[in-house]
Amino acid sequence: MYSIEIQNLTKIYSPGHPKKEVKALNDFNMTVPQGSIFGLLGPNGAGKTTLVKILLGITYPTSGDIKLLGHDKFDYTIKKRIGYLPENHKFPLYLTGQDVMKFYGRLSGLSGSELDKKIDDLLGLMDLSKWKKTKVRTYSKGMMQRLGLAQSMLNDPDLIFLDEPTDGVDPIGRKEIRDILISLKERNKTIFINSHLLSEVELISDRAGILNKGILLKECTVKELTSNLEEYTINVDGMLEGILPQAIIEEFKVQRTAEGEYSAVVKESMDINTLVDAIRNNNITLKEISLRKKSLEDVFINLINKAEKGETI
Amino acid sequence: MNNIITVTLYTLREAFARKVFIFFFAVVMLVLVGFGVFASLVKLDDLMKGAMVIDPQEALRQIVSRIEWLIISPIYGLGLLLSIFSCSSFIPSMLEKGNIDLLLSKPVSRSQLLLGKYFGGILVVFLNISILVIGIWLIILVKFSIVSFALLFAILTITFSFAVLYSIIMLFGVISGNSMLGMMLSYLIYLIISPVLASRSVWFQFLQSDVAKKVITFFYYILPKTAEIDKFTSALVLNQPVSNYQPLYSSFIFLALMVGLSIYVFENKDF
Repeated sequence: MYSIEIQNLTKIYSPGHPKKEVKALNDFNMTVPQGSIFGLLGPNGAGKTTLVKILLGITYPTSGDIKLLGHDKFDYTIKKRIGYLPENHKFPLYLTGQDVMKFYGRLSGLSGSELDKKIDDLLGLMDLSKWKKTKVRTYSKGMMQRLGLAQSMLNDPDLIFLDEPTDGVDPIGRKEIRDILISLKERNKTIFINSHLLSEVELISDRAGILNKGILLKECTVKELTSNLEEYTINVDGMLEGILPQAIIEEFKVQRTAEGEYSAVVKESMDINTLVDAIRNNNITLKEISLRKKSLEDVFINLINKAEKGETI
Repeated sequence: MNNIITVTLYTLREAFARKVFIFFFAVVMLVLVGFGVFASLVKLDDLMKGAMVIDPQEALRQIVSRIEWLIISPIYGLGLLLSIFSCSSFIPSMLEKGNIDLLLSKPVSRSQLLLGKYFGGILVVFLNISILVIGIWLIILVKFSIVSFALLFAILTITFSFAVLYSIIMLFGVISGNSMLGMMLSYLIYLIISPVLASRSVWFQFLQSDVAKKVITFFYYILPKTAEIDKFTSALVLNQPVSNYQPLYSSFIFLALMVGLSIYVFENKDF
């Protein structure tokens, strides 16, 4: 069961105007399983926010099909099951934190004691109870962000879109937000995160996608994304060039980095054994081998660079 | 319907917060105090002096109608000018990035959001005009002991005129995302175009071309007739018979068209 299914989604701004025309999304395909956390990564202007806005009906697609929570025909009432925290959201500054929650709660179809209880619970969860009667114009960026997250959960949504959720939040707050998101996932909620903070996405996402110039470069589990490029540092007595078979050197992209030091890239952890066997079979003394696991950031930069150069990904 | 009411009430709250309501209310109070002072200075005996008093009560009623007309006509003008100025920012503020994204992410249709904002602006004006007109009505009641319900109709006609002009502000607000163009057009229609078109028979005397006359007549019928609604209001206050309701319903058709167009544009716009 998927919470989000996107097929051949294309969005062109100002179509037919050669100078203004921008292809924000290009034949985009993706699915997000129910009860998972999906992180969408991409540089500025990649089309991340456009994608979320299309999914929420804030912007209209040029072509393509979308299914949200199993509904293929977009109807605004489906938003009763969806929560959203936009990037740089603006709350009415003359309202208190509690009033902001009441306003958006009422628009979400909640009222009376049910709404009041929900507001108290969520403001408590976000550590904002003390500030609930304070006008939001005095809130810090981090408090605004936490209030934004609280309002996105008002209707107990099955699917939550978060655009830069930890933006402006201090490290302790970030950890708290991560814990909240993980607890939501445990309750089978689907969370879709747009973020520049790769480490945040890496910490909590089950799956991730990398978007550049409206094209989805890669989409898989975070583990797949990072484990595909495990890099090892190998220290040996002597040299590997000319001794190791060329096929091995090419397969593992063995490169000399210093005197007696080489780097090698393996696709699967098990493959390192093949390389070690090859070194030993050629009577080369292996002094040290250490894993330098590539972070999501390494993968991200690598993919974006490749895409910019027009290389195959 | 609940969503429209919620947005309407929060627009009223926005008016309070932006001091729009307070500013409007302060002007209303100033006018009421001025009228109260004027009324306290008026001596009934002096007013009746020189009048052919066959029926003193009817004579007083006529005099009071004149006073009401003298005050209502400028209030109509001032009320509309202030209303347009005060409420023109409601739609553009809703469309600000970060705000509209949040609103559209809620289970509310776009038409409900827009209508809520529209009715919110009208409610702000209705409340202030009501306070003003009812205040004048009460002062007249206390001073002259005359109950003149005709004056209260001015609340509806002034609010209606505002609703017509506000529909223009709404349409151009939705299209352009700011209030300036709509505001300027509203002032243009209210202050120049509508009075000019209302007195078109005068202009026709100087025009030879039938085509020009037809063009002017065409614009007369399609544009709102705030100048004639002003005259309509005066006639009501003066207890004069009103036979021509065309300015009201043709203005209403214009309003409905503007609201419909605004909803259409808003429904199809990317944010």
